[in-house]
Amino acid sequence: MKDDTPSRPFRVVIVGGGTAGWMSAAGIRRQLGTEDYTVTLIESDEIGTVGVGEATLPHIKSFNDMLGLDEAQFMRETRATFKLGIQFRDWDRPGDGYIHPFGAFGEPWGGVEFQHHWLRALQAGRLHYSLQDYSYAVVAARDNAFEFPNEDRKSIRATYAYAYHFDAGLYAAYLRSWATQRGVHRIEGRVCDVSRDPTTGDLLAVTLQSGERIAGDLFIDCSGFRSLLLGGVLGVAWQDWTHWLPCDRALAVPCRSVGALTPYTRATARPAGWTWRIPLQHRTGNGYVFSSQFISDTAARDALLAVLDGAPQGEPRLLRFSPGRRERAWCGNCVAIGLASGFLEPLESTSIYLVQAAIADLVKLMPRPGAKGTDPRLAAEFNRLNEMQYERIRDFLVLHYVANRRHGEPLWDYVRSMPLPDSLAHKLQLFRSRATVPNYQYGLFSRDSWLSVLIGQGIIPEGYDRLADACTLPSLEDLLNGFRTRIQTNVASMSSHGAFIATYCAAAGVVVAEEAAA
Amino acid sequence: MNGDRSLSRVVVVGRDVDLWLGVNALCAALGPVGVQVVAIELPTGLKPSDVSTTLPPLEALHTKLNIQESALLRLTGGSFSLGHNIVAVSGRRGARSFFHAWGAYGAPIDGHAFFPCWLKAARNGFNLSLQDFCLTAVAARNGRMLLPDEATAAFGRTDYGYHLPTIAYVSYLKSNAIKLGCKLHEVQDVSVECDAGGSIATLIVDGSLRVEGQLFVDASGADALLIGRSLGVPENSWRAHFSVDRVLSARTPAFTAIPPFAEIRPTGAGWTALHPNRVATGVVHAYCGNLLSDAAALELATTASGAKLADVACRPASPHVRARVWEGNCVAVGGSACSFDPIHNVDLHALQLGIVHLLALFPVVSGQFMAERAEYNRIMHSHYERIRDFQCAFYALAPFSGEFWQQARNQPVPQPLAQKIALFRARGEVAPMEDETFSAESWQALLVGLGITPESGSPAIDRISLGRLNDEFRRILEFIKSKVLEQPPHDRYLDSLCRS
Repeated sequence: MKDDTPSRPFRVVIVGGGTAGWMSAAGIRRQLGTEDYTVTLIESDEIGTVGVGEATLPHIKSFNDMLGLDEAQFMRETRATFKLGIQFRDWDRPGDGYIHPFGAFGEPWGGVEFQHHWLRALQAGRLHYSLQDYSYAVVAARDNAFEFPNEDRKSIRATYAYAYHFDAGLYAAYLRSWATQRGVHRIEGRVCDVSRDPTTGDLLAVTLQSGERIAGDLFIDCSGFRSLLLGGVLGVAWQDWTHWLPCDRALAVPCRSVGALTPYTRATARPAGWTWRIPLQHRTGNGYVFSSQFISDTAARDALLAVLDGAPQGEPRLLRFSPGRRERAWCGNCVAIGLASGFLEPLESTSIYLVQAAIADLVKLMPRPGAKGTDPRLAAEFNRLNEMQYERIRDFLVLHYVANRRHGEPLWDYVRSMPLPDSLAHKLQLFRSRATVPNYQYGLFSRDSWLSVLIGQGIIPEGYDRLADACTLPSLEDLLNGFRTRIQTNVASMSSHGAFIATYCAAAGVVVAEEAAA
Repeated sequence: MNGDRSLSRVVVVGRDVDLWLGVNALCAALGPVGVQVVAIELPTGLKPSDVSTTLPPLEALHTKLNIQESALLRLTGGSFSLGHNIVAVSGRRGARSFFHAWGAYGAPIDGHAFFPCWLKAARNGFNLSLQDFCLTAVAARNGRMLLPDEATAAFGRTDYGYHLPTIAYVSYLKSNAIKLGCKLHEVQDVSVECDAGGSIATLIVDGSLRVEGQLFVDASGADALLIGRSLGVPENSWRAHFSVDRVLSARTPAFTAIPPFAEIRPTGAGWTALHPNRVATGVVHAYCGNLLSDAAALELATTASGAKLADVACRPASPHVRARVWEGNCVAVGGSACSFDPIHNVDLHALQLGIVHLLALFPVVSGQFMAERAEYNRIMHSHYERIRDFQCAFYALAPFSGEFWQQARNQPVPQPLAQKIALFRARGEVAPMEDETFSAESWQALLVGLGITPESGSPAIDRISLGRLNDEFRRILEFIKSKVLEQPPHDRYLDSLCRS
């Protein structure tokens, strides 16, 4: 009955460093007792990490807080900048743009969500401002402004959150030093053999090229796209989503920073995919995510180099991937976290979030020391949650593609007419007819996120919530004007993102562009 | 685009609470935007012994309807309910009484939720009952109301429901609806004319008056006059999961000191529930007709309630959900949409959910309602099924002896519930699911109360020492003890509220 006096500690073995590996190591080390759990991480300096996940979501802050990291120090170490959202350029059609902010649009009046009031004023011909103008985070981002959200939750300056852009390689290194100082055992080496229990099929140990054999009770596969243990050894089936998300390659290259430091990620639609732009303190990260069905690697490389802000720092690096997920992320005594469990293109900066969510679930469901084998009930719950996370993000990513007016470009023509997941088709129908935005309690994304992309992609609903009509049009106009003015006045008094970084967390030797807010 | 094709008239057909709570909510929300609400009231199916037992969210709906709590309780003779006391009188080994309260169990310790801390202590031999850490439950068992203040708010949630004598509640709702501007027809009988597309075109009331509308709400309870009898939408039976097929209702004289909770007493052949209020105590006995005759049920209920029963009525129960709760231009709410087992008194809450979601999806324009219908059917089925699961858990895990309980335990459980129970047994975690009516704390109280001891606890709690837990537990228990002493006795509070 008592589960607090195990005979020996439970051995967690993480295969693979990188962001997923070191976040897992640090997260587990911080939350589980050292007497009960040992954590060993095997990585090889010869194997590069993918590190496209340089842009994050606001959730990362709670992970860092849980570890007890000092924010300014973490930002210095990882050359980080702040992020208020993602700017999507040319996604609906060339020349258009919108920001998906980490924040709310307007506020509900009379118990009715904001978009209904906005639409009503629009349909009545009383409105000349886009939905974007009613989001504090959007207006601040457009102004290249940054400050921490207000702690007074009633303030308009509390209607947003923030995330970071950082160098994922430096973040992994930072967590590595944090974790190894706190008892995580790091082993340098490459796994060349895996031994399994002949009866249960459980993993017993991995053998390194050096001959060293590392036994474990639970193995976390953080080996990236290779999915060395879960896919390779255990053969868990792959669910392919290429028919919904045709992009299957990326080219990545950093360049010199030029101009003001933007507090947002930029994703620009291109004929065969999209390019990202991630501003760090010392450089700008860039990449072209594309579909090999629609463009050659060489043409994609040329296209990427042609759109950089500054001089490239090196030759673009090619990554191949398939969108989709392993049908079970937890199988036997092996749990895959990060790219080993699945891949979704970094359009909404979800990779690190998925890692973080998996760690939180794993800590809750971690087998106890002394437990015989893995309890399938715990694995089943982990897999249920993981599937829910992936599917909700998938629908949101697909949304960016389906609603486009880039006619005549084969990729964009294909995605505009492809059959959709039922769950997404339903959400689109509901929004198109009556501006009702999907809402759910668990997983990504919030109502405001859906709203920003639905409207941003040019979908204007036919109708709005009847209950919005309870307010008279003149008083609605006053409310709308008042809200927009409050945002403008407050944003005008914010400091620029560059200046904020320079005083708060600039890394030694880095000169941050400090241009005043535009 | 909203405009000329706007839907301007909604017709609600039904009786009793389903009709009148629905009409109130539609009038309050839609009146200001120019939608006329027509109520077609059929003869009542209520008995004087009926008591509506409600869940905490009803208070918020009442507020939107301009219903004042003091007036409501004064005019109906209703009282407060802080939860359900489940009293194990016929237990198998290990069956204990427990309280399912509308409030928080314990308070977080060092940033960790209370339940896994309690579980660790329990697994290490601390003999502390979970319900003793619930301020609301302790107040209830001491016959007191719980009035929240800053300290209790910092401690955790403290909510309540009501016990409302139903006939008085309905008449209160009806007069309120008329104040809110509904158009009323009191009728004996309604028939339906459908158009070629299978939607409702016209209602013919009492054989002559023709009532037209664009949208019809079926609030006719088990009769399902529109959605079932006219449109032919079938029921999906939940019989396989529930044994109860007869429900006796009756009343006994009011208690001299009115307990602020409902009491559920499992007997060898079903269970008896007492719903105290200031007019009388409502008595319900739920049983299976094959195992117990109506006469024997009456005898059992009399014994369990300890007093002579008046106004006795026996009614059949057939748990099911309507295959589609929005069909054509007809939306079913309350009993015509879903018929629940009587345990945990969920009917009124399910009605409230049906109404609130109808308002959230209220059609923009008259027409096909395709998107609204698809979403309403999806979300209501999800809500109804989560409620069903919570009810089903009570029977699947019941630690009581007797043939009825033996049968209940052997019935299959729906798959999401099976997963939920399995995870709780394995780890003491409540699997998060969308559209839950009952909070994780309700699930914990229920599952622990029914005797499940999880086989392992959260590893993250290992870092909190047993000594630390002991200190925190003592602090919480002392807080509860002193807070409960500050609370007014339920009777005294009711008296002062109703005089105000």
